[in-house]
Amino acid sequence: MSSSQPKKRVSAAKPAPKQLTKPAPKAMPAPKASAKKGVAPSPPTKVTHTPKSKKRTVQEAQEESDDEFGNEDMEDSGDSDDGEAEEFPEEDGQDMSSADLDSVDEEAESDESYMDGDSLVDSQEELEDEDEEEEESDDEDFFKEDEIDPNFGRNLDEPLPEESDYKPIRREYPEIDPVYDSDSSTEENENTVGDVPMHWYDDYPHIGYDVDGKKIMRPATGDELDKFLSTVDDPDSWLSAHNYKDGKDVKLSSEELEIIRRLEGGRIPDADYNPYEDSVDFFTSQTEVMPLSAAPEPKRRFIPSKHEAKRIMKIVRAIREGRIVPRKSGYVPPKPKYYNLWNDAEDKPREEHVMHITAPKMKLPTHDESYNPPAEYLPTEEEIKEWNDLDKEDRPKNYLPQKFGSLRNVPGYNQFVQERFERCLDLYLAPRVRKNRLNIDPDSLIPKLPSPRDLQPFPTRLAIEYLGHQGRVRSISIDPTGLWLASGGDDKTVRVWEVATGRCMATYHLDELVTSVAWSPNKDVAVLAVTCGYKVGLILPEKLFSPELAIHSEDFVRAGFANVGTTEANAKATWKQPTESEYAQGIRVWVHLLKPVKQVTWHRKGDYFATVAPDANNSAVLIHQLTKHQTQQPFKKTKGAVQRVAFHPSKPMFFVATQRYVRQYNLQRQELVKTMLTGVKWISSLDIHPAGDNLIIGSYDKRLCWFDLDLSSKPYKTLRFHSEAIRSVAYHKRYPLFASCADDGNVQVFHGMVYNDLLQNPLIVPVKILKNAHERVDSIGALCVEWHPTQPWLVSSGADHSIKLFS
Amino acid sequence: MEALVEGPQVQVRFVTQQREFAIPETAIQTPANLRRYGLSEIINLILQNEGEKQRPFDFLIDGEFLRTSLLEYLNEKGLSTENTLTIEYVESMLPPTPLSSYEHDDWVSAVQAHHPGGFLTGSYDSHVRLWNKQAECIQTLSGHSGAVKAVQWLSSNGDKGTFLSGALDRSILAWEYNTNDGSHSILYECYGHTGGVHSISLNNEGDRFASGSADASIKIWTTTVPSVSDHIDEVETRKKRKTSKANRIAKTPIATLSAHTGPVSAVVFNPISTDTLYSAGWDHSVRVWDIESHVNLSSKNCEKVVHSLDYSQHSGLLASGHADTVVRLWDPRSEDSSVVKQSLSGHQNWVSSVSWSPSSAFMLASGSYDGLIKVWDIRAKGALYTLTHGKGGKKVLSIDWTNDILLSGGEDNQMKIHRLQDMETKSE
Repeated sequence: MSSSQPKKRVSAAKPAPKQLTKPAPKAMPAPKASAKKGVAPSPPTKVTHTPKSKKRTVQEAQEESDDEFGNEDMEDSGDSDDGEAEEFPEEDGQDMSSADLDSVDEEAESDESYMDGDSLVDSQEELEDEDEEEEESDDEDFFKEDEIDPNFGRNLDEPLPEESDYKPIRREYPEIDPVYDSDSSTEENENTVGDVPMHWYDDYPHIGYDVDGKKIMRPATGDELDKFLSTVDDPDSWLSAHNYKDGKDVKLSSEELEIIRRLEGGRIPDADYNPYEDSVDFFTSQTEVMPLSAAPEPKRRFIPSKHEAKRIMKIVRAIREGRIVPRKSGYVPPKPKYYNLWNDAEDKPREEHVMHITAPKMKLPTHDESYNPPAEYLPTEEEIKEWNDLDKEDRPKNYLPQKFGSLRNVPGYNQFVQERFERCLDLYLAPRVRKNRLNIDPDSLIPKLPSPRDLQPFPTRLAIEYLGHQGRVRSISIDPTGLWLASGGDDKTVRVWEVATGRCMATYHLDELVTSVAWSPNKDVAVLAVTCGYKVGLILPEKLFSPELAIHSEDFVRAGFANVGTTEANAKATWKQPTESEYAQGIRVWVHLLKPVKQVTWHRKGDYFATVAPDANNSAVLIHQLTKHQTQQPFKKTKGAVQRVAFHPSKPMFFVATQRYVRQYNLQRQELVKTMLTGVKWISSLDIHPAGDNLIIGSYDKRLCWFDLDLSSKPYKTLRFHSEAIRSVAYHKRYPLFASCADDGNVQVFHGMVYNDLLQNPLIVPVKILKNAHERVDSIGALCVEWHPTQPWLVSSGADHSIKLFS
Repeated sequence: MEALVEGPQVQVRFVTQQREFAIPETAIQTPANLRRYGLSEIINLILQNEGEKQRPFDFLIDGEFLRTSLLEYLNEKGLSTENTLTIEYVESMLPPTPLSSYEHDDWVSAVQAHHPGGFLTGSYDSHVRLWNKQAECIQTLSGHSGAVKAVQWLSSNGDKGTFLSGALDRSILAWEYNTNDGSHSILYECYGHTGGVHSISLNNEGDRFASGSADASIKIWTTTVPSVSDHIDEVETRKKRKTSKANRIAKTPIATLSAHTGPVSAVVFNPISTDTLYSAGWDHSVRVWDIESHVNLSSKNCEKVVHSLDYSQHSGLLASGHADTVVRLWDPRSEDSSVVKQSLSGHQNWVSSVSWSPSSAFMLASGSYDGLIKVWDIRAKGALYTLTHGKGGKKVLSIDWTNDILLSGGEDNQMKIHRLQDMETKSE
């Protein structure tokens, strides 16, 4: 067999098309078409190779290797053609491209035909031939030749006219003279029906056709007895197989048996074939010194390409005819834009669009969504019933936990599509907005206030109660030495108390409600100013002070009676001597006003004091000079109802609080300096910081406003800690403290530090709420607060008739 | 003895600050169910005190008086019986017994007792009253025109005696009395203060006294009775004053100490050193003076107003009552200006008055505006005894502890007497 191989190659090279079905691609559609049309099978022409499959494979492999060599040449030329085909469309416009592509296809076809052998001998005329159809006509001729094949109609019993077009080409090849040792199969009349069921021929006398289309008659077969006998006689009969194609018994060779055995074992039929051979790289990295093929360069490498010439001529013609306009000079073809697929260094994920907002994540499943949740997650029957009774919208969960023995028992989730749909609806219909959330710790926004513990001392507990008043205690005042506390109230008395013990030292009975009491701030003049009704009285508590002081005070207070004649007749105030009994009590001077007086306040030097009589319209504010017993009306006209007035602690300034505004006047220049817009509805009280640059007001609408006079005309801070109307506010003279009291009965203590540094704003820290310092009586709580002049003690008075000292 | 007792035992070590009762500091096994009495017996056994000499002791563990058995104490504190327990034992003081209550017409603002003489009280009705121990008012002395804030015995021998009184009318009066004929007279009047007199203190030799006043000054006076009035300012001699007080012999101070910036609420002489004076006031300072050179030797500051001051010669400490709830103890010898040696807190309101025990270095009484008198052992954390002075939390304004008598006067118009007896005074 091995010796016949080279010869077989030679023989197979030429007659291959004859023996096998034609391998040309154009012939291939034929069986397909017939299959499609469901027509009866064409007469089988294919040679069966069942018994010689091994030889066939070897043969085909050989042919394939031959083809590869041929293909190499073909690829060479094809490569060059392809190169041209790629370049052309770039060079010219669109009008050229379609025609070109057609031509390329046709050229490819023609190339194949060249390979058939006649290409090389094509005449030179072809170069100038413009009509590509000539080639097609060749093909047509080729088919025509087939149609007139004489063997065709003759061999067919029932020829179908449609099929005739698709019949494979059959050429009469000269008989091959079988030399010695050639394959015996070629000598016999082989059945060419192919792989059709042989029972189709059961009703015919023949069993097929030989290679020339002649019927092969059914060989005579003996009956069963003959068969049996033959099996008995022939010792090799068990080795024979019946060939239905030929209707003969064929004796199987040992190799064939081996093949059968291997097939039965599911192994590869060829025993020599090693499916796991070491792979040999076709192309190795090593550069071969010697070429693989020693074949001489083909001629076509040296002659100008006909195809190229054709294409060039085509362009030339197009240019001549003006179909192609050559490109203007200076054109730079655009650089090809390409994406470097493999450059992973710069290959970063594309950044998301600025406005892109990722969809919110789905909620992760929980335990009760498990297919096999723990028993405690499973709903009871009542829960199931309740769940079922609820409206779909109202259900807390849209599923009921269920338990399955295993995952494969879990049915398909019937809500899946619905859920996906709703999710999509949510994502689509609910606009997602990017919120710029401030990532700030809320605690850091709270101003860093010192702890009240660090701001001691401040009053924290009730120390002393001053009991004795029989009515609301409207006003309190502590004398500048800090030893005596004066109070006045609705029981028409003014009382003076010993601060340290709570002992009432003196009581002055007046004839009207006492609305305001104020000690003279001058330590050398121990005088207490009280307002009661339409009068302002000046009281000298003689017993409490040394005789020198008492005498000096009396002289100071009563010296003005000497120039009593200067008082105008129509004065707003008249200075009067007290009666004998009043004098004995301690009252030294009366000042009668036209309207009820609500407040009296001293200038820091103790010579002037101002009174407020809100009802007295333009003369609401009066300033009285004690030494001369004179009264001035500082404002010709007052805007609004005056509530409170206050002297500046160091400058010739005067503050007037009306219902809504606080006005600061310069008394020397007699001009309005500033108007403070409080923003409150009704000011109740006013106090000036001892340094003079800050003031606080309390209002009946529960607010306490701190004004920094240098800062703004609006409140620096508005504190609203009281739940009822604020009645009184007060600064401490020495300590950085201020306090407020309100109708809720509470007294609140604040740390109010004013820095000398002008750049630093005052520090206000609430340090203590003295809750229920005073009981509420008729919805009035604490009425007045006053600080001890030297100690951090706070005194408050209230409607519950009491005065309390907190330390 | 220990071997006979059943039950758990605990190892204790006894220590004391009283040297006369010191025992070796060795740990002893004692039954854990012992109470104060049992422990006291052990101490007496070790000291070999027998019969009459036996003394009761109190026991302090971590500054707390042992009021239960040792075992209960350990259980309460969650301590183990394995560890050695250090117990400080102090001589026991019998609980104070109220003796009597002396009714006044007005607030009692000053009290002082004298052993043979009786009790002096100053009241807000501007009278000074002299009481004997039978709760009888022997004499009511009226001469002041303001509340009497301070009284100070000068001398007494039972029937006769002299004393001083200071009042809010800025004057100090020296009185002489004789109970036999019921007469009394003003020896002299001390002029000089321009504010109420809050405190008077006599030195140990009895020739000088100091007064603290609301005018922020301390004045030093002699106790000698002058024969003629000192020269007094013109202003003083106005007609009104002349009429009422012309017959009194006026006296002027020999020195004025002015460093305080607020009312001086308390002055007290050092009973050992004649020249050393302690004072305190509303300016939060406690000052040490040398009255010979009129020099403010040192001053100590706290944050609160000082209402009262007392010095103990036994412990060498100053005690002060403040306008907060704390009694503070100071060491006047220490250089540090602001170190409070110890703070005793327990009162609910201002401490108006403090008084050291005349015999013990550790005992202290304080009266407060919360109406309570507390007796402290400064070795313990809390108060030893708490006495109620009056009903309804009426203020205690003044207390005085002389010998075994504790006087207290207050807002309820009462002066109350308690007997405060430690064993030492009893045995005397």
